[in-house]
Amino acid sequence: MIADTMKTAPRTSPGLPRQLRASRLARNGSLAGWAFAAPALIVYLAFLVYPALTSLSLSFTSWNGISPAKTYVGFQNYVNLVHDSVVQTAARNNLIWALVTIAVPMALGLALAMAVNTRVYLRSLIRTVLYMPAVLPLVGVGTIWGWLYQPAGVINNLLTDVGLGSVTHAWLGDSTTAIWAITVPAIWVRTGFPMLLYLAALQGIPAEYYEAARTDGASAWQRFRHITFPSLRATHYIVLALSLIDTAKVFDLVYAMTDGGPGNSTQVMGTWMYFNVFQSYNFGYGTAIAVVITLVAVIVGIPYVRSQARQLV
Amino acid sequence: MTAIPVPRTDYAARAQTRRRSKALAATAVLVLIAVFWASPVLILVGTAVKTAADFDAHGASSLPHSLTFANFKAAWNVGQFGTAFVNSGLITLVKVPTGVFLAALLAYSLAKLKINLRRSILFLMLLGLTVPIFIAVVPVFTMLRQVGLIDNIWGLLPPYLAFGLPFEVLILTGFFKRIPHEVIESARIDGASELNIFLRIVLPLSLPVLITVAVLDAVATWNELVVALVLLSSPGHRTVPLALLNFQGQFTTDFPALCAGILIALLPILVAYGFLQRWIVSGLTAGAVKG
Repeated sequence: MIADTMKTAPRTSPGLPRQLRASRLARNGSLAGWAFAAPALIVYLAFLVYPALTSLSLSFTSWNGISPAKTYVGFQNYVNLVHDSVVQTAARNNLIWALVTIAVPMALGLALAMAVNTRVYLRSLIRTVLYMPAVLPLVGVGTIWGWLYQPAGVINNLLTDVGLGSVTHAWLGDSTTAIWAITVPAIWVRTGFPMLLYLAALQGIPAEYYEAARTDGASAWQRFRHITFPSLRATHYIVLALSLIDTAKVFDLVYAMTDGGPGNSTQVMGTWMYFNVFQSYNFGYGTAIAVVITLVAVIVGIPYVRSQARQLV
Repeated sequence: MTAIPVPRTDYAARAQTRRRSKALAATAVLVLIAVFWASPVLILVGTAVKTAADFDAHGASSLPHSLTFANFKAAWNVGQFGTAFVNSGLITLVKVPTGVFLAALLAYSLAKLKINLRRSILFLMLLGLTVPIFIAVVPVFTMLRQVGLIDNIWGLLPPYLAFGLPFEVLILTGFFKRIPHEVIESARIDGASELNIFLRIVLPLSLPVLITVAVLDAVATWNELVVALVLLSSPGHRTVPLALLNFQGQFTTDFPALCAGILIALLPILVAYGFLQRWIVSGLTAGAVKG
């Protein structure tokens, strides 16, 4: 409510001469501005920017994390990376992850939002339940689903019960199904967010549009195609941008459910970096992997960052 | 109603009945979907209260034929969840207010104060939204090793603060920009210092958005895995995700106890979600739709 009042409040002060305002601002100067900004900036520079640049420089060494000498090896880590078959698997898995855990939650989220947006009872309770998985720690989600996926677990038992006994499978133990099996809990977790955003956007579409279309004899599909879907363009963009940024960060579910196995078949860039650094002590090589994921994530994210920054300045 | 033969009313009443039954049908379908969606957690609860014999006889997806809390007791003793709750609680209680306050100071500066390089600072800060924490873990690990903060929950604080800032600054800058200049300007004319204006006027005005940001930040902090995994090692210093990972490895056959342990670990966040979901929902929609 406060925000609403503010939005409608007049922009310029009628009582105060422009000159005076300007001079006061100048006198308070940019000193206060920097004093307010400094604490957060120092923390950010010291623990995000500086470590990121340090990682970049470590990625050109063969450091093992312990020895005082950090031998410069040029681009050797990056050359090795291209020839590392696990990196190829990991890159493929990151791509599968991006496609599946963005497209499916967006489509499901939109469908659920449209269903919840009709005339129903218990709307907020239903919305609360559908978003619930998103607040759980991913380790918890992975532990639950790892148990459901057990060879004699709930999922296989249910398949047998409905006569699909031939489909039962060691879902996480088979390298051909494991990464796909991990995307299912990811979809479970990630559907709530687009649902909430789509629901908020749907509630903003004027009902008159639909009434007019109905009067003109538009079918349900035509109404969706020409009114609903185009009205959600801004939401599609935001959901897509935030999901793309998030997808490079995949780690927890894979680590909790398969630990990268069987036979490295479910490694993603994040877990493979972790294994190289903290289990094989290849700090140089591990940071090179981190540099690659980060570059991809930042480049993909820049259009979104720019659009946000433009709106805020 | 049929006793009064007025066709129009009858028609209206029937239309209303039809609408109502349509809404009921839609509700029924959505409730089924919601139950299906919640089923992993419901099965977890159902299994956690079963005796081992009941589980062996009827499996996980049947309704419990028995009711026991022994699984929770066993899981609690092995999982050391009490310690993990204290650790996660401490770090969340310190990190969230500190992070939100630092972010608010910066966001206020960017939104309302005179500062050069405003554009560049904002861009650099928001770029952090895209940066995976993997890029920082190795140097953070070596930095903290030098000062002896490895395997200490307070070692989590600096990276958590730094990586939390971009999102907080994004939301708060957007909100502060909408505060009318007049509010701040008139306080300046009354001789209030910049810090006093911020603390006494801007922060109280922004309470709802501050709570929203804090709640979202608390969920992220409580659930964080990568940094905790890298920095913490001894059992007494585990956070909730680490305790759960460790617990999972110890109960590979006793499924009712495994489920009880998972449930214990998830309980605080589920309860908190029940109470705070309105802030979460409004925060996510506000943050994203506005942007």
